[in-house]
Amino acid sequence: MISGRAVATIRELISMGENVKITRVRFLALCMGLLTMTAAAYAHHGSANYDTAKSITVTGVATGFDFVNPHVQIFWEAKDETGAVQKWQGELTSPNRLTRAGWTKSSIKPGDAITISGYPTKSGAHEIWIQKVVMGNGEELPTGGGN
Amino acid sequence: MRIRGGTFLLAGLAVVALASALPAQTAKQPGSTKPEAASAPAPEHDITGVWNMHAPPAARRFFGNTWSAEPPEMTPWGTEKYNAAKPSNGPRTHSLKETDDPVLRQCLPPGTPRIYLQPFPFQIVQTPKELLMIFEYDHTVRQIFMDGRPHPEDLTPTYMGHSIGKWEGDTLVVDTVGLNDKTWLDRDGHPHSDQLHVIERFHRVDRDNMQMDLTMEDPKALAKPWTSKLYFQLRPDWDIMELVCTDNGAFEDFEK
Repeated sequence: MISGRAVATIRELISMGENVKITRVRFLALCMGLLTMTAAAYAHHGSANYDTAKSITVTGVATGFDFVNPHVQIFWEAKDETGAVQKWQGELTSPNRLTRAGWTKSSIKPGDAITISGYPTKSGAHEIWIQKVVMGNGEELPTGGGN
Repeated sequence: MRIRGGTFLLAGLAVVALASALPAQTAKQPGSTKPEAASAPAPEHDITGVWNMHAPPAARRFFGNTWSAEPPEMTPWGTEKYNAAKPSNGPRTHSLKETDDPVLRQCLPPGTPRIYLQPFPFQIVQTPKELLMIFEYDHTVRQIFMDGRPHPEDLTPTYMGHSIGKWEGDTLVVDTVGLNDKTWLDRDGHPHSDQLHVIERFHRVDRDNMQMDLTMEDPKALAKPWTSKLYFQLRPDWDIMELVCTDNGAFEDFEK
């Protein structure tokens, strides 16, 4: 998965034009990140509505979890910078792939604290193509690939 | 390190190309359950079990939606159909409201050979009469007749076609004709006609790994045969699960 920081880095580099300073390690990591991102985007149907050049992270409290085809859905609420509660939802891969990665239909329950990272919508709607799920106790749930 | 912007972009492309060409042995992929130890020898003329496609790094960029890094050479008929197609997967991604992908739009079977690009495993069962492929995706079944029969004359076209197989040494050669033209060759919108002829050559490298050389011939859609190599891993701890396409009826609910 490409991180928001990596995306910012490549934009900064391109905008710097002639006087780019990078380290080889960071550059290789950046390229591998782009490669992974592209493969995931190709494998996922309905990706047209997401901006896969960006990544956002939203922490909140789960309100729903639909373990359904074709893509598992998580619903949650999070406070914005003014303290107002906003509704969010996000999609993962299929329940079959997540089952093989260790998930069950009870992996997320209403009231669970969750931190979700992934690609935002181009429209700005509060929806995410989820790439990372971290529970309130710090446990990360594997997201099972990009399909 | 100080480099010019243009050089930086070229270097970036070169590194991406290099990274995608790295052999499979260089990095164990996250989530891979490929055995660390050398696998046991393959049993003779036996490819039963649950298999899952495992794309090597060089193929990972495209196997989510198509068969090769380079596009196939198509006929004018094929090119016109391809340009008109509105896939949801791949670089020409369309929203789920706009796509005319027959699998996503109508829940039609993916057909042979696109079924392999659905990202789910399949199980092979062998009987003296036939070899059955039970695909997790929509419980799609393929029959490959192993009893020496030829293809029938005047076949009625179907989604999965009529398949006959025979062993050539340790390679299972499967020949398929009688395919209808309601499906695409891949998830990227490459078309085919009812003249499609698919040849699959399965070779079980060892107990845990199988390769398949795929050849697609279609004089109406393809200017020359389109080939690919697929890699499968045995998943002895997996069972085929259920995945019903019509449960995806809420597809457009996912529209953003």
